[in-house]
Amino acid sequence: MATSIILQVLQSLVVLTLAPLYSGALARAEAIVASKRGPSVLQLYWDLAKWLRKSSVVSDQASWVYRGAPFVAFACYLTVSAIVPVITNAPLPLAFLSDLIGGAFVLSLAGFVISLAGLDTASPLGGLGASRASWIGSLAEPALIMVFFTVGAVSASDNPYLMNQAVGHSPYVLVMPTHLLGTLAFFMLVLVENGRIPIESPTVSIEISMIEEGRVLEFSGREYALVKWGSWMKFFLLSSIFMNVFVFPWGLGDAKTLLGGLIAIPLLLCKLAVCGLVIVIIDTSIAKVRFFRIAEFLGAAFLLALVGIATSYVIGA
Amino acid sequence: MESLAATSITGISLDLLSVLMLLCAFACLGSKLFNRYVYYYGLQSVLLSAATAIVAYTYGRVELWVLAVLTLAIKGIGIPTMTRHLLIEKLELKRDVAVSTGLSTALIVGGVLTAFSYLVTTPALLPKGLVAAAVVPISTAIILLGALTMVVRRHTVAQLIGWLLLENGVFLGAITLVAAFPFIVEAGVFLDLVAAVLIMVVFVSGLGRRLAEASSGEMRGLRG
Repeated sequence: MATSIILQVLQSLVVLTLAPLYSGALARAEAIVASKRGPSVLQLYWDLAKWLRKSSVVSDQASWVYRGAPFVAFACYLTVSAIVPVITNAPLPLAFLSDLIGGAFVLSLAGFVISLAGLDTASPLGGLGASRASWIGSLAEPALIMVFFTVGAVSASDNPYLMNQAVGHSPYVLVMPTHLLGTLAFFMLVLVENGRIPIESPTVSIEISMIEEGRVLEFSGREYALVKWGSWMKFFLLSSIFMNVFVFPWGLGDAKTLLGGLIAIPLLLCKLAVCGLVIVIIDTSIAKVRFFRIAEFLGAAFLLALVGIATSYVIGA
Repeated sequence: MESLAATSITGISLDLLSVLMLLCAFACLGSKLFNRYVYYYGLQSVLLSAATAIVAYTYGRVELWVLAVLTLAIKGIGIPTMTRHLLIEKLELKRDVAVSTGLSTALIVGGVLTAFSYLVTTPALLPKGLVAAAVVPISTAIILLGALTMVVRRHTVAQLIGWLLLENGVFLGAITLVAAFPFIVEAGVFLDLVAAVLIMVVFVSGLGRRLAEASSGEMRGLRG
């Protein structure tokens, strides 16, 4: 029992501490691909340290909604870090809290409070970012639910651990059309949820095109640090769910020994490197789509998952 | 489940290839650039040739090997290159603007058609002992998507691509359902295909030079 509690803490710590590294490494890799030197891999840690030291400026029009939002959002990401398979393939003590759909709800709660905060200060850019993010979120949600249905078709559950086991025990599932289509759709959603390139440019923030950055423009100092840290954690979490549940379910420790959990950390980093490489290739090779074509992108994700479910209906898995 | 018995390597790879072919058809339906149409069609044909090779390997048939090679050479390389050089570059086609519905609508209709083809080819209706159960509904879906591409696009070259997609769907269904498809029929189909593309090339390039417009939407003006 003590081991599993330690593992539980370790898992959240891994997400907390390695999330800036993952985003930083991606930014560096993208710069290298673009023939630039780019910031250090550790740059985001320095950024965090800087923001945490600074005091924050809050508009006198802002209410408690604005003040509380970064903390609620951060807590949401921490909660999700406790319930999904990041370093173990067996449920940890807190994993009973929710399944995939519950996890998605907690993530949307974080997005919701950040949107509220964006609206709360009545700054025009905040409202703009919030309205865009809500529009995208309302289109991404049905696709996400469909992806969970493909997971259900493969593993007969909506639990990420059971899905992990189902794929891990019979690797041929990896090439089954249903699983493949669900994986592809989930990858598209990972890009959407984290504002990667077909949706918005992660490195450039131009007022006219920004979505995610627009909502948090008003934050500064410690609150800004929390918000940014939270968004890196979200990226880290979704990428690890993508790799651990959908693509490569092996290399996770069981929940009984501490050693397995510790070994799983470097393996997780290797997996994330693969996922990050794919994202970097996409980021650097295709252009951002026009805003109103985001609906088509998400429609495509929805469609992939739908076809996946229909296929499972015919071939039975 | 009973139909899960078809999880041989052949079955899985055929299912997989056919799903990828379906995605190519969707990509074609969802893109707006003529270059992309041809690219996706070429990709789909290469996948089709791989599927043919797998069926040929499983049943050990020489004529299917020949078909696989022919598919790769003609559909995978020949027709895309020909269309690109003779039509797209010659007519300077880039962006397809002659569409009758928005892309989202087209994709949604495509999804509905796919669901429909899955519904009409329920597992109970399929012949017993089929290697890859998913191929039948998917080939039906590809046929319908090809037809939809022809309906949605108004430009003649885009309609040609739609028709070629449709033909790929027919071919995919044929090789998996009746592996003993007479070779002479297939060869004839190939010949037809090449002839049709050639005629199209001559016809459309003449049309384009004279009218600078090859959209069938223009023909509405002829209505009484």
